[in-house]
Amino acid sequence: MMDELGTVYVAEVMRRIRSRPYIIGLLVVVIAIALLTRLPTMLEGAFNGARSIVLVGDSALVARAKPLLTDDYKIIATLAGGPIDDAVLKSYHAGSAVALQAHSDGLHVTVYAHDPSGTHRDELREALLPLQLQLVTHRSAGAVAKITAIPITVTTVASKFASAGQASAARGVAYTLLFLLYLLIIMNSQLVMSSVAEEKTSRIAELLIASVNPITLLTGKILASATLGFLQLAVWVAAAVYLGGGSGAGANGQADSGMLSLANALDVLTPGLVVAFLLFFIIGFLQLSTMFAGAASLINRTEDLGSIALPLVMPIVFAFIIAIAALGSPDAPLAVICSYLPLVAPFVMFARIAVSNVPLWQVALSIGINLVALYAIAILAGKIYRVGMLLYGRAPSLRQVWSVIRS
Amino acid sequence: MLNVDHVRKDFGSVHAVTDVSFRIDDGTTFGLLGPNGAGKTTTMRMILGILVPDGGRVTWNGEPIHDRSRRHFGYLPEERGIYGKMKVREQIAYFGKLHGLREPDVSKRVDRWIERLGLSVYADRPCGELSKGNQQKVQVACAAVHEPQLLVLDEPFSGLDPVNADVLLGILNEMRSNGMTLILSSHQMWQLEDLCSRFCIIAGGANRVEGSLDELRSVWPTRVVRVAPPSDSVRALLENVAGGQALDQADGAIDYQVPSTTDFAALLRSLVASAPVTKFEAIEPSLREIYLRAIGESAA
Repeated sequence: MMDELGTVYVAEVMRRIRSRPYIIGLLVVVIAIALLTRLPTMLEGAFNGARSIVLVGDSALVARAKPLLTDDYKIIATLAGGPIDDAVLKSYHAGSAVALQAHSDGLHVTVYAHDPSGTHRDELREALLPLQLQLVTHRSAGAVAKITAIPITVTTVASKFASAGQASAARGVAYTLLFLLYLLIIMNSQLVMSSVAEEKTSRIAELLIASVNPITLLTGKILASATLGFLQLAVWVAAAVYLGGGSGAGANGQADSGMLSLANALDVLTPGLVVAFLLFFIIGFLQLSTMFAGAASLINRTEDLGSIALPLVMPIVFAFIIAIAALGSPDAPLAVICSYLPLVAPFVMFARIAVSNVPLWQVALSIGINLVALYAIAILAGKIYRVGMLLYGRAPSLRQVWSVIRS
Repeated sequence: MLNVDHVRKDFGSVHAVTDVSFRIDDGTTFGLLGPNGAGKTTTMRMILGILVPDGGRVTWNGEPIHDRSRRHFGYLPEERGIYGKMKVREQIAYFGKLHGLREPDVSKRVDRWIERLGLSVYADRPCGELSKGNQQKVQVACAAVHEPQLLVLDEPFSGLDPVNADVLLGILNEMRSNGMTLILSSHQMWQLEDLCSRFCIIAGGANRVEGSLDELRSVWPTRVVRVAPPSDSVRALLENVAGGQALDQADGAIDYQVPSTTDFAALLRSLVASAPVTKFEAIEPSLREIYLRAIGESAA
């Protein structure tokens, strides 16, 4: 049995690793990682967005405003005055021009922009508030800074993280890993499905199951696909590390480009989280791929793959949506309930683990329920697969499938 | 030795096999015959352990069929396929390995089969690029590369042109000479009549007749007597045979159906005494006739 399993496993790995869908899937994600890590920086240089501004006004006033705006805006140029029109904005490739004037009642600001929705009025008001206070109260910048520096102390309650930056980074890591989990499970389960469908529709299935136990055949396929999934993961992580290695980190755990930095990711990527990711990948992948394989054994034409895959993918899409929501509210009743449900739990429980302190008994219960569910799915799918691979002609009705399951 | 003992298989309300029994000794070439839907493929699948009987049992050398038995079996199903993108050599080797062959043995056997089937020029080409006939040769090699003790072939000649059918026939004869046990199902009766030493005809999921061709013929109730030339005195004499019945006249001879219990030596003596006779032949029933009668009885 182990010999046969090994033969099927090696043949499947070799066959799939050379297949176009696998190579394309692998490369597309590497390209996506490259774009996500590099493109924002490249685009920032190529396009000056709404936050690229020209500051206009009296040189002393502009000098006082400048330090207040540099955190949120890229100041391309400063002008003493003059008419601001389309030509000025275009010549500086600026999103807007911000004109400052000091009056007896305080600061007056006029924004000249092509797109009025990009003026960020509230942010501008907030950034310039210290200057407004200086002008109205006639106090120095230092005195105003003392007034506005309200002491705020954050005390974490049953939090997994020591700081807001760490919590934010953890959320970023969890989001990225959830997306990877989703991609890995869906892509590799579909590989199993297409492999089964190929053998069924090419009519080689009967020759195969006369040579090897159908369950051994199915197990070999699933193990091969899991291996290829880990290989994909390794390539993607390597690509992310290589391509994202140079990006810097901002104070809030986000890189300057808006992407999660590698340093912050590694800070929150604990061994426990990696183990949880791998464990829930294996459970989720085995549940879905086994279901996919059973379903694929019932079709007679590859064109029917889509229609049979859609209802099976729906729980995974639902799980992904709930898991994303659970990143914000990991202890919400719906998130807790969903973290036990088969097919859904691998995503939701992982999301909860990533951003909160989930009690160990809840994790154990979730794993237990899902392993039992996996066993039940494997029994049912195995029965369907065993018979389905021999069924040719008309697709079996639900009643026939039910009678196979009951037998 | 393979023993199929009153096996039964239902698929929901469909009774695919109701009661089939036969025994196949080692080295026998066995013809499993029956019309479409008779239960041949289901019976073959039960023999190979692909399906588990709902009743009765199948044993190989006295033991029930299990995963280890499969290594000694080979199967060419009627619904046969191929991995289109896999190379010929890789494909045959894969099936060899599934049946427990290992290097360097598997490569030697694969090379031998490729040469034997005239596939040398295609050995490193994807199977999908081969003609249907050549693909079928690859499938035969996949089924037999591990030199099984029992090889089951479901309609092995279907889809083959006469030249390739002859190649396959030659290979099957060679296997038979080497002592391999073969089970064949085919609608081409003449090929089975030449190849098989025992037969089982099933219809409606149950045995109709079973035995060697001689045994099947021995219970056939009539024979055809062919006499030439068809003179009036010959006709008159044959009319007098109890239970005799005139058949068509062809090729300058006259055919009469007479009971199998007829004393043919006495009949010949009477014919020669009454008229000049240049030809006298007592024709045994063909496998096709036996088959048609067996399934006709089943239909009745």
